[in-house]
Amino acid sequence: MAKLLMDQLTKTYDNKVTAVENFNLTVEDEEFIVFVGPSGCGKSTTLRMIAGLEDISAGTFSIDGKRMNDVEPKDRDIAMVFQNYALYPHMTVYENMAFSLKLKKMPKEEIKERVRNAAEILGLMEYLNRKPKALSGGQRQRVALGRAIVRDAKLFLMDEPLSNLDSKLRVQMRTEISKLHQRLKTTTIYVTHDQTEAMTMATRIVIMKDGVIQQVGTPKEVYDQPDNIFVAGFIGSPAMNFFKGRIEGDSFVMGQTKLLIPKSAMPEGRDGQEIVIGLRPEHITHKPHAQVDVLEVDLDVVELMGSEYMVYSKIEGHSFVGRVDANFELAAGTVFPMLFEMDKARFFDPETEVRIK
Amino acid sequence: MRTKDFAYWLFLAPVLIALTLVVVVPMLLGVYYSFTSWNGITTGGFVGFQNYIDLFKDERFLDSLWFTTKFSVVSVILINFIGLSLALIVTSRIKSSTLLRTTFFMPNLIGGLILGFIWQFIFVKVFASVGEMVGMESLQVWLATTETGFWGLVILMSWQMSGYIMVIYIAYLQGLPNELLEASEIDGASTFQRFRYIIFPLVAPAFTVSMFLTLSNTFKLYDQNLSLTGGGPYNSTEMVAMEIFNTAFVQNAFAYAQAKAIIFFVIVAIVALFQVYWNKRREVEM
Repeated sequence: MAKLLMDQLTKTYDNKVTAVENFNLTVEDEEFIVFVGPSGCGKSTTLRMIAGLEDISAGTFSIDGKRMNDVEPKDRDIAMVFQNYALYPHMTVYENMAFSLKLKKMPKEEIKERVRNAAEILGLMEYLNRKPKALSGGQRQRVALGRAIVRDAKLFLMDEPLSNLDSKLRVQMRTEISKLHQRLKTTTIYVTHDQTEAMTMATRIVIMKDGVIQQVGTPKEVYDQPDNIFVAGFIGSPAMNFFKGRIEGDSFVMGQTKLLIPKSAMPEGRDGQEIVIGLRPEHITHKPHAQVDVLEVDLDVVELMGSEYMVYSKIEGHSFVGRVDANFELAAGTVFPMLFEMDKARFFDPETEVRIK
Repeated sequence: MRTKDFAYWLFLAPVLIALTLVVVVPMLLGVYYSFTSWNGITTGGFVGFQNYIDLFKDERFLDSLWFTTKFSVVSVILINFIGLSLALIVTSRIKSSTLLRTTFFMPNLIGGLILGFIWQFIFVKVFASVGEMVGMESLQVWLATTETGFWGLVILMSWQMSGYIMVIYIAYLQGLPNELLEASEIDGASTFQRFRYIIFPLVAPAFTVSMFLTLSNTFKLYDQNLSLTGGGPYNSTEMVAMEIFNTAFVQNAFAYAQAKAIIFFVIVAIVALFQVYWNKRREVEM
């Protein structure tokens, strides 16, 4: 159980390339924090600094108030799950899990009990004598988790642990890891590039881009109240739609198209100014009796997902995706009235890309 | 014959012909000659197993076999130990590792004969001068006794081969997934424990290769032996290869030398195969 503090954490390579800049974050005990962002955003580097596998160029990292910058990884009391599992190929599943305990010179009986406990939780009992090579990807991932569990460490670090699994198994392991966290309550930091994993598992999400934190918040916060265009576009699938235009009076205008903005949603003091609005696909839809903000659009592509359609179209040169209930009959190449729910729109400054609140 | 088959054999022919002429035929002829009293010119009569019976009573041959075995065991251990240590040094994060690699590998580029003469100079002249200066008598008689001849050969061979073996270990060390080493670091392994439990077992394939190379090279050593000690004193540092050569070309007992060569071949083959079999079992697939 641990409380972490990252203060102005910075990583520069050879004093030239900055991988992570001024990373500030406080992690409370029992939290499940997910670092998410595109490749090269510095999320793994930050995790590795926390693990002690990378030196910290500047700033402080502490666990429970104790400065960790110069503490060896083995003395930080952390457990880590790697992307490629990093199981020792010459050891059996049992030996893999027991390795860290053996190094601690724990009595054999206790090692046995701990490994058996972990194996039971993870459903690995019948594989204890196998070598990693004789296991499937999902089983290997479980062993890697088991190796972390037996440690009873203060902190779990996970570096894209599910990215080598097929999509079905990924969903399954996702829930298993969540369950595991609810059971063990160990503070966890989880790195992924998959926003779905971030949304479904995290108590709080840290969204990063180019080595800089973009936003920290609960999944709901970052989904509903994104701080900027990057976060708005990164979180959610399909991604949020953006339209560039101008505020004129009570309307949003782009080219010939005009959309009325309800008073409650209207950003202050932006009349006559350029603006970017963001609408999530579920807010561009069809409602039979809607009067205002309904546009007749050409349906370029219509994908039936079962309970709903994904509708791909364009207005004023902006491509967008909408969602329509599957009860309606839709076909590509036809014209269809779509409702733009402007009360749900998010407004962004086109220069700074920051959300206007 | 179909065209495809023809092309297949055509491309294979140069190698097959070369192999047959250079390896298979001499080998078979050699086996045949070892049962005769061949003197290099005329085949002489068929003598059955007489040559083989004789060689097991031949003390000079048995002595050289024993000397070679001792030399081989000590050298193999030493070369692999030094080679692996050097590899660990140059794969660690030190600045001059490229320069060190080149330096460590360099001795291997010098031919065996010349190397023998260089070390002969060092042992006989340099050691003696240093010994004289510091008053250590033990440094003054190098290569003049069996003992110093033995260690002289071991030092020479280790100096020459360690750099070569280092390259093999480097290749395998660099092939180890970094994640594994990091995982062990987080699992709490110290530098030594990491080597003992993770690195050492995982470079087992390098051991198989290195052991094979060092074993066969030290067993078949000839040129360094010739130039460093010449087998002296009193043939006491004569290794099997040299002993066989002398039997054939000094004593002109070609058929007898041939029989020794065949026994030698069998011994080297058994030792090499056995060690490969034994080491292979330690290897794991990643």
